[in-house]
Amino acid sequence: MIETMFGSLFVMLTTPKIMGLMLVAVVIGIIVGATPGIGGRLSIALAIPFVFGMDMIAGSVFLLTMHAVNGTSGQISSIMFGVPGDGDDAATTLDGYPMAQKGEAGRALGASVTASGFGGIVGAVVFALMIPVLEPVVLAFSPAEFFLLAVFGITLIAFLAGSASIFKGIIVGLYGMMLATVGMDPQTGTARFAGDYLFLWDGISLVTAVLALFAVPEMIALGVRGGSISSVSREAARFSYRQQFHGVLEVPRHWWLALRTSVIGAVIGMIPGLGGSAAAWMCYGHAVQTSKHPERFGHGAVEGVIAPETASNAKEGGSLLPTLFFGIPGSSGMAVMMGAFLILGIQPGPAMLTQHLDVVWTLIWALVVGNVMAVIILLVLTRWVALLTFVNGAMLVPFIFVLVALGTYVSEGRWENMLVLVALSAIGYGLLRANWPRAPFVIGLVLGKIAEESLHKALQLWGMEFFLRPLSLVLIALITVTVAYAVYQNIRPSKVRQPMGASP
Amino acid sequence: MKAGGSAMTVVMLAIFVAMVIVANGYPAGARFMPFVVGIPAIGLCVLELVLDVRRRRESATALPAAAPPTAVEDHEAPLSPQQTLRRELVLWAYFLSLIGGILLFGFWLTIPVFLAAFLRFQAGASWTRALLMSAVTLALLFAVFEQAFRIELHPGFVTEYLQDRLGDGS
Repeated sequence: MIETMFGSLFVMLTTPKIMGLMLVAVVIGIIVGATPGIGGRLSIALAIPFVFGMDMIAGSVFLLTMHAVNGTSGQISSIMFGVPGDGDDAATTLDGYPMAQKGEAGRALGASVTASGFGGIVGAVVFALMIPVLEPVVLAFSPAEFFLLAVFGITLIAFLAGSASIFKGIIVGLYGMMLATVGMDPQTGTARFAGDYLFLWDGISLVTAVLALFAVPEMIALGVRGGSISSVSREAARFSYRQQFHGVLEVPRHWWLALRTSVIGAVIGMIPGLGGSAAAWMCYGHAVQTSKHPERFGHGAVEGVIAPETASNAKEGGSLLPTLFFGIPGSSGMAVMMGAFLILGIQPGPAMLTQHLDVVWTLIWALVVGNVMAVIILLVLTRWVALLTFVNGAMLVPFIFVLVALGTYVSEGRWENMLVLVALSAIGYGLLRANWPRAPFVIGLVLGKIAEESLHKALQLWGMEFFLRPLSLVLIALITVTVAYAVYQNIRPSKVRQPMGASP
Repeated sequence: MKAGGSAMTVVMLAIFVAMVIVANGYPAGARFMPFVVGIPAIGLCVLELVLDVRRRRESATALPAAAPPTAVEDHEAPLSPQQTLRRELVLWAYFLSLIGGILLFGFWLTIPVFLAAFLRFQAGASWTRALLMSAVTLALLFAVFEQAFRIELHPGFVTEYLQDRLGDGS
């Protein structure tokens, strides 16, 4: 294992192509992350066409690095202009923006970039440490548990993304699962919901579905809103490199807090559905609770920047774990990433531990090296990257539309996917307008095939008795508790119901 | 509770009902998963509709509250529903024109025309800027897809037809 671990690092560092791709991925990730409106999910989906033809290592390293770096640059607009780039960055705004208003933008940015990089590295280390511990657990899972885990994953994600109503989240998740059944049924050879349309026999293209559900609705919404993304004047954003250096030193000064929140973030990332926003907010709360001066939070406390930033980036390492070993994406971003892995020929599951451990270690090192690169580049370029926030939304829309069309076509080389794109975009925009969550759809679409395959295998092996296996009973209990709590939350008087967050 | 939310539930319900009905005609093994997913989904849609009605009744009896924020809300100045609808229709028209243009005339003809038109008329860029940005984007995409990746993009049905006709003629 030690040989595989360091062998992967050596190969990565000594292959100019991979290092070059990582550098490109870091730059793109920084640009995309700093531009509010284009989230991590979207950037992966848009980048998928560009990794066609790459081998699995190069392609997966490129996409994962880009995804990992997204969060590191996302907080720039949160701190300088009070505009969170993504849900993960909202917690950083609480103290980061007041710091900027007090003329300490450089210090806040130095602390957040360093904390984010530190969190990313710790997250990768936690993931690496979990491999020997998890190996027997992963290998003990049978198709029965994989089916129930897929159902549990959708329930949990729908519960967390569903905002006011979990039912909406589950409905969207089930819609994704239903669309996963489109195409040739491997059991009977029946072309389901495909009719005579041969292009549907292979199923709905994941890339097309993701672009339709996220990219098109987001861009139409951005175009409707109009104007520049930030409403703050450029003069309001004061910045100095001297301050930034002081900010960098804040992380070693608060090393114990940074380490704790990084580990908490990585662990939260391992739980499917909890994701970045929960990690950031929980760790922000932890920082407030453990501070000797909690009254400073919300008014520009640097710990209020360090805690959420370490956590939201550390969770990337954690969320890679269920994605790679169980085939259950840790977040909607990881669901898109998992789709990309499948396209590149990486089949998530226990085989990753037994046959492709080199790929796993390469991805872990990609997280570490990518974060180091991002921190160095951002500490130099933060001031200019922040200007991306002033880009006029209307200028961005046509370029994303063109990339969406290219991605849809290139992913499978079929013009018919354009028609699927239009149909699904209409549904995606309907979901956005009605304030329904869209993240469970991607997870449902990805997990649908895995769930069906596992269900058929489990039924062949044990018949209906697979529901009575001990681990199955535990998972059934978890699903029941989640759904029962959701029913309770929906049925109790609405005045005590609190929204859990914005729907992605 | 917004009416839009209920409309979406109805759309979802219709999709699931249609898919379950279609799946009913498949062999047992093939319809199993659509039933496992579709039937609970229909139940949940019905439940959500009932909850929508209940919430609407509750909110009708309660004091008027501030409207929930929508995803297309402006953070600077709120748009009227008519303005929002007009902008939505324009953007959808652009998007559908792009897709239709690609299908009929192919990527290489449609992309520059679409970009220049959108940047000039929708984003308010000058003709020079719009044309320059379109040309640079086209050159970049051509370098990536045609030169580096050697991916042949959809040529367009009309373009292909005309090329065939011209080829036959010569």
